[in-house]
Amino acid sequence: MIISYNWLKKYTDINLPIDELSKLIGARLVEIEETVDLGKKYQNALMVDVISATKIEGSDHLNLVTIDDKRAVAEVDRNDNGSVQVVCGAPNIAAGQKVVWLPPSSVVPVTYGKADEMKLDIRKLRGFTSNGMIASAKELDLSEDHDGILVINDDVEAGTKLSDYLELNDYLIDIENKSLTHRPDCFGVVGFAREVAAISGEPFHAPEWLTDMSRLPLTTDNPLNLTVKIDDESLSDRYMAVVMSGADGSKKSPLWVQTYLSRIGIRSINAVVDVTNYLMVLTGQPLHAFDYDKLVKVADGRAEIHVRSGRPNEKLTLLDGRTIELCPADIVIAAGEKAVALAGAMGGYDTEIDDSTKNILIESATFSLYNLRATQMRHGIFSEAITRFTKGQPAELAMPVIKEAIRLMSEWSGAMAVSDIVEDYPTKTEPNPIHITTEFVNNVLGSNFTKDQIIKTLRNVEFTVNDFESDITIKRPYWRHDINIAEDVVEEIGRINGFDNINPTLPIRDFSAQSIGQFDIFRSKVSDLLVRSGANEILSYSFVHGDLLNKVGQDYRNSYRIVNSISPSLQYYRQSLTPSLLDLVNANIRQGYDEFALAEINKVHQKSSGMTDEGVPIEDNMLAMVYASKTARNGAAYYRAKKQFDFLRQHIGLEVEYKAMAERSDGRPYSKPFETKRSAYIIDKRSGKEIGVIGEYKQSVKKGLKLPDYSAGFEIDMIQVFESVKDYVGDYQPLGRYPGTERDICFQVSSDLEYGRIESQVQSALKELDYQSRLSPIDIYQADGSKTKNITVRISLKSTDHTLTGEEVTMALDKITSIVVTNVEASVI
Amino acid sequence: MQDINSVRQILIDKIATSNSPADVLKSPELKKLYSVIGTLPANERGAYGKSINDLKVEIQSAIDSRMDEIDNAAVEPLDVTAPFDINSSLIELMDTENGTKHPLIRELENVVDIFVRMGFEAIESRQIDDDKHMFESLNFPDNHPARDGYDTFRTEENFIPPAHTSTMQNRILSAGRDRLESGGQIAAVSYGRVFRNEDVDVTHEHTFYQCEGVFVSETASLGEMLGTLRSFFEAYYGQKLKIKTQPAYFPFVEPGLEFAIERPAVLGGKPGDWLEMLGCGMIHPNVLELAGIDSKKYRGFAWGGGVERLVMLKYGIEDLRHFESGKLQFLREFK
Repeated sequence: MIISYNWLKKYTDINLPIDELSKLIGARLVEIEETVDLGKKYQNALMVDVISATKIEGSDHLNLVTIDDKRAVAEVDRNDNGSVQVVCGAPNIAAGQKVVWLPPSSVVPVTYGKADEMKLDIRKLRGFTSNGMIASAKELDLSEDHDGILVINDDVEAGTKLSDYLELNDYLIDIENKSLTHRPDCFGVVGFAREVAAISGEPFHAPEWLTDMSRLPLTTDNPLNLTVKIDDESLSDRYMAVVMSGADGSKKSPLWVQTYLSRIGIRSINAVVDVTNYLMVLTGQPLHAFDYDKLVKVADGRAEIHVRSGRPNEKLTLLDGRTIELCPADIVIAAGEKAVALAGAMGGYDTEIDDSTKNILIESATFSLYNLRATQMRHGIFSEAITRFTKGQPAELAMPVIKEAIRLMSEWSGAMAVSDIVEDYPTKTEPNPIHITTEFVNNVLGSNFTKDQIIKTLRNVEFTVNDFESDITIKRPYWRHDINIAEDVVEEIGRINGFDNINPTLPIRDFSAQSIGQFDIFRSKVSDLLVRSGANEILSYSFVHGDLLNKVGQDYRNSYRIVNSISPSLQYYRQSLTPSLLDLVNANIRQGYDEFALAEINKVHQKSSGMTDEGVPIEDNMLAMVYASKTARNGAAYYRAKKQFDFLRQHIGLEVEYKAMAERSDGRPYSKPFETKRSAYIIDKRSGKEIGVIGEYKQSVKKGLKLPDYSAGFEIDMIQVFESVKDYVGDYQPLGRYPGTERDICFQVSSDLEYGRIESQVQSALKELDYQSRLSPIDIYQADGSKTKNITVRISLKSTDHTLTGEEVTMALDKITSIVVTNVEASVI
Repeated sequence: MQDINSVRQILIDKIATSNSPADVLKSPELKKLYSVIGTLPANERGAYGKSINDLKVEIQSAIDSRMDEIDNAAVEPLDVTAPFDINSSLIELMDTENGTKHPLIRELENVVDIFVRMGFEAIESRQIDDDKHMFESLNFPDNHPARDGYDTFRTEENFIPPAHTSTMQNRILSAGRDRLESGGQIAAVSYGRVFRNEDVDVTHEHTFYQCEGVFVSETASLGEMLGTLRSFFEAYYGQKLKIKTQPAYFPFVEPGLEFAIERPAVLGGKPGDWLEMLGCGMIHPNVLELAGIDSKKYRGFAWGGGVERLVMLKYGIEDLRHFESGKLQFLREFK
């Protein structure tokens, strides 16, 4: 919304420099997006007298004009008598007029600041020199009127600057609407001025008519018949209307009104339309004008207006030509039975005012902002009027505004009221008195206001304040429906006096310590370990495209679907992290990264996880890593992912078993991208539960996501892992004073025997020994075409109380080998 | 039609045994079927053409599954329990020098850490929630115009990807009520990922992170809120700071403010250059009551702000889209 500084000045005595005013408004009322210096746009425009205007021979429209600017412009070619010559193509130019002259080197205001800015110069037209131009209202950016030049009918001295005459030395303040959602009064110039007066401590001059709630006496003997009825009281608090006759559609509103409307972005149309716009901008109360005779005709001769809900299958053609289908949340204005306008949003085509309109019906009303908001969203209507209506204009305002509208209509367009002001006002709300105490105000704000300061502050913004011994009792002015509870009043006091004047202090707290949550600490540790293992932690979107789910083989019906997404790539909640990571691999390969591991710890959501006690979806916390290399490396990619995972799990104390996926196919959705023959489920040894999956990806996944062939990764459930390892503190072994010893054992086994079988047997044998011990894999060898392979492991042994003898070592090794060969088909070589 | 059916069987059989099944599309049988079209009477051509197209779709899908079969047949199983491959050498971890933590996570941990040291409990925010927590319990009635400012996504079931971490506020307040009533205070921050339905550009993201805090006691005041927030930013930037506020409207606070700090020295310090950091205010009595807290006896303040902004200011990051891009070029700058 744009606010004109000069317009504010009509209601307050404020005279601060614009930057100080901006600061003050910013700190105490609302955020300002920018301020624009309007004066620059009009800095050269001058009021001048037309001395002579004669047709140029041979041209069908050009006139040779001389003007008198009282020598206001210093550097311009003048005739002997001091006048300046301009060539003008306007049909309405005539000697004796007062017009607006744009001297050479000035910029045509309508183009000011735009890409095609037009700077005037001295030109020759038909052989005659033209010094600048005489401007139309459109060229001056005052209205759409381009039929001829703007002729000023006021008695203004030639040589006067246009900006002085029309108060165009102004600043336009662009404010952020959102922070005024609760302040319908500030969507009017008067209301905004009242606030500016209060925060700057300057007097405020309210227009008297704005608080005059009396009815207007009927001035016509034979009033037109008219009834209005709110059929459903929840839709509208108040509806009033009046019929006026004799408006001259060709009449314009006063020039100053046109200029004030245009500077805030509203084009002047004619006196009738300008009255409604002017009052809306001034007070925040939108008005609508109907063609009364069309309305009566639609209602089969009855002058009867209803405010009601839209009906199923009911249609309405709007002013913009669209035919919309109504629904019960829409509020409509009906003439008799037929809907003729979408209340608060847009008038209807059937009752539009046109050149032949004789009688105008003016509506001043309020509508339920909740219904209007729904209407606005459904039909995509974002007009100045509905923007104001959806802030909740007070019903009390309707009366003073309609009375002022009658007065201005008559003054500007010559129309007279020919009906009574009729209204339906079913529910009048009286504000409850609000009680506060000085102590309460200061406790909430942490301030030191005196009772007098509090009372003065509130009275400045026209609250009714009664100072009782025990408390201060406040009644809000009618335009402040946002003030309902004591806290609302406290905000007013703090804001108007400046929150920045409150002394910041710290709460008094006890010494009870807080720690970051155990899971958070764990997650952070995992993230750090990933980094140590050379991975790059990433964040990717929680929503994925349906195509991605398809490519990795996840069922989209298990994903929560977003119904109002701006983009098809944000259709579904992801069921696991791996697909998001896989989707990022190719771009990084193309960027020239040959080998990398992307990892993410985040939440995923799927319907199969069920609901919490609160009835919202259970969230799963996952960690996924994807390893990719542009070229194949030593061994299968699977073992790269496994190396990274083993590093991680050893450092968090997670003990697992890898179960080949081919053996089990009932996997959770996160296992879908993985190739069953080259992947494993990860089983937590402590709980025996599946906590994740590790492996290479399916051929179709690699193809679909353009992954390098050499890629693999894992995905694990962080909550389950955390549950398993939260008590792990490491497995420290005392250093000992005695040296240890290492021996290698080589087992020959069938080529299809899993390494894990040997490992677990050796581990259980080591547990039976009374030594500190460690197993390290050394080699897995299989000769070409052989049906057996050789697995070599290194055994480290150490005693805490003596140096191991050769005999002891041999006995230990014998025990290990005998346990292995008893339980597994293997021989020692 | 008989023709089509017999050709279908021939082609499907061919595909099932072929090692280059795509060749079937060029088979003479199929070509012959096409050539028939021209010889048919005009009124039969449509139906015939459709049958051939259906056949072609069926053939294509048979080819696709055969291709998968061939691909998969080539897949050798491996020993998932082994530490490395047969006949291959020991594997090293990747180069730790290339490992990087995401800058946003790093900063989020830093922010949470400061609040915890100030005595606030830290709770991660939900990424899917309901209307009650996202709006209703925060004093946003249905269809309230202030909801417009949040551009929320919705799921079919009317769940909401939360547009602010305040979606945790009702839970935090409800959970803290007992502590409050036994003479304690509620002091908590909630942090995490939030979502807004908007187009992405240099300064807009539909996915971003917030950190929000609440404090409730018998004596909480707006002055204490300003002091607490200033204290946080002074710890975060390691220097004394000037602060400034601006009135703002959020239905869940009364009064509501925007909070700004003067640009600190580490960011090039410039007097009079204000950085808007967060929105804050005194918790609206309705919000306390909706969590079962007696608003006549207890008061509180709350605030919430974006995390990306802190990170962008700190490192001079020029484009908001980098955070969720997964670009190594970006990530590896944060060693």
